[in-house]
Amino acid sequence: MTSENGSLLQIRNLKKHFAVGGGMFSGFMGTKTWLKAVDGINLDIEPGTTYGLVGESGCGKSTTAKMVLMLEEPTEGEILFEGQDALDLDKDGRKNYKSSVQAVFQDPWASLNPRMRVEGIVGEPLEVNTTMTKGEIKSKVGELLEEVGLQPYQSRLYPHEFSGGQRQRIGVARSLALNPKLIVLDEPVSALDVSIRAQIMNLLMDLQKEHGLTYLLIAHHLATVRYMCDKIGVMYLGRLVEEAQTDELFDNPLHPYTRALMSAALPSHPDDDREEIILQGEVPSPVNPPSGCHFHERCPSVIDECSTVEPEKTFPIDEHGVVCHLYKD
Amino acid sequence: MASEERIGEIVLEVKDLQTYFVTRWGVVKAVDGVSFNLRKGETLGIVGESGSGKSVTTLSMMRLVPSPPGHIVGGEVILEGENILELNEKEMEKVRGSRIAMVLQDPMTALNPVFDIEDQVGEALKIHEGLKGGGLKETVVDMLRKVRIPAPDVRMKDYPHQLSGGMRQRVVGAIGISCNPAVLIADEPTTSLDATIQAQYLRLLRELQESTGVGIIFITHDFGIVAKMCDRVAVMYAGKIVEQGDVRQIFNSPQHPYTEALINSVPKMEENVDRLYSIPGNPPALWDLKQECSFADRCPYVFDKCRESYPPTYDVGEGQIAACWKLEENVEVAELAETQ
Repeated sequence: MTSENGSLLQIRNLKKHFAVGGGMFSGFMGTKTWLKAVDGINLDIEPGTTYGLVGESGCGKSTTAKMVLMLEEPTEGEILFEGQDALDLDKDGRKNYKSSVQAVFQDPWASLNPRMRVEGIVGEPLEVNTTMTKGEIKSKVGELLEEVGLQPYQSRLYPHEFSGGQRQRIGVARSLALNPKLIVLDEPVSALDVSIRAQIMNLLMDLQKEHGLTYLLIAHHLATVRYMCDKIGVMYLGRLVEEAQTDELFDNPLHPYTRALMSAALPSHPDDDREEIILQGEVPSPVNPPSGCHFHERCPSVIDECSTVEPEKTFPIDEHGVVCHLYKD
Repeated sequence: MASEERIGEIVLEVKDLQTYFVTRWGVVKAVDGVSFNLRKGETLGIVGESGSGKSVTTLSMMRLVPSPPGHIVGGEVILEGENILELNEKEMEKVRGSRIAMVLQDPMTALNPVFDIEDQVGEALKIHEGLKGGGLKETVVDMLRKVRIPAPDVRMKDYPHQLSGGMRQRVVGAIGISCNPAVLIADEPTTSLDATIQAQYLRLLRELQESTGVGIIFITHDFGIVAKMCDRVAVMYAGKIVEQGDVRQIFNSPQHPYTEALINSVPKMEENVDRLYSIPGNPPALWDLKQECSFADRCPYVFDKCRESYPPTYDVGEGQIAACWKLEENVEVAELAETQ
């Protein structure tokens, strides 16, 4: 089941604002300031594909992931899963949603309970959400471990007995336990050793093919995103500034921020001398984001209206959206 | 990148360095016969995964290995002609921070939050150069100007939290070069910085090298950093250097299967790769190393000989050396190999 336009997940004008600063009374006095972590993003994820959200720390990509996982309540907006607003669901509906949408986290040292055996870690979602018996759970856990390249006997072990890559496999097995439709991958390889990363990326891509899974990948490493994703959205300060199919985006980046991000990425060969656009300063605080286009203070191609007028999304190329004054029709 | 005139005489020679840790599981040979050298103005990358021994190598060079359990059991570290492993602790204190210095990539944790910038940049100058008063102040301002901190005479009164991340990075850089060291070690933590911040940091290091001629050793797990920054590269695996050579040569024709696998397993931003090569298995446990080649279990080219003994280091030519049995028939054993 998907929505009318064929998307599994649709995000509409999603916002998350955190109240910051001021004392406990500032709320009553009306002096609250807001950190706009996510400030109105829209995106569609087709079933069976991988959507990549990229950006630097503080751009709101992880907050977006948390909202999709229902770990964070949106301030405004809609999350449509199979055409239904996930934020409007009743208790049973929410439970269903949470089984269909699972997560693999960045740090396999922190995301597995050190006091639980692997069978407990991988079997817990089954215990909580299904009526399976202990025996059934045990054999299912064995199957899941085999699926991610581990051995069933390893279910008796504790997380500390595994290497980083193996732990991440356990995390993947857990996320698969309830036959989810969407898995949110939050930096799934960035904490792993380089020689292990390809193993995990290939595993995730194989599982996707086999089970028809849909992925939302949160990452900051552009090459990883290029390898794994079908479509990519680039975020800057809580907003999506550019979105396109993977090859199109890399071959033809339009937004000045996307270009700077790509030029700052490390080369894969010493002879690969790419033009270096080094941005001035850092990402500004989302508490008081710059007026107009959030990027204008650091933008090498800034024009007059950038500091005053918020740019609209345009499509200079089919299915390649960009939010930038340079591409006004 | 590397122009020939930029690179001068040898400033650091590490010969057959061995650093072992005595643990209850046995002796861990964290660094097991590592040799390399570094020239003035040159950048050497030491690449390896966690547990490969790259960080213990630098700690040994700084004589900062926690002891016990760690012991430098053999080898030489010759800094500007002097074997610093023979110095006593008092003499070593004069070397650290002045002739061989370290910069940490993460600017958030590298500075002490309770001292102002002037104190932190000035500390090494006070100790090593004996500067004080107005002269010290002037030199600190100079250093900060060198790393392009705007209004350095005002900003040096700031505390780290008052500076932006980029400026903190610059301050850390200023501390690193304050005493004009011969060797600067840049140790990169495994968790990476944002790309644009990292690009600023790398440019800073390059500028410092251009202005001072310092030799830089980059400790990293990322071949991207090597491609961008380094003239030469040494690849470490399980406590040993398995391959070493000119950066282009290593990228164009890696001779050790581990180097080749690492280069092929990293996704590229420039092109769409269908399927990456993935290295099977995990790095070996260092307390449990056998006689065989430590990469044998993961190597796609493994054959009988690999299981029998650790290969010598072969000279592939043009300064490239690699420790792999498949080179046996074609090339000569490198001179360094005697130390294996």
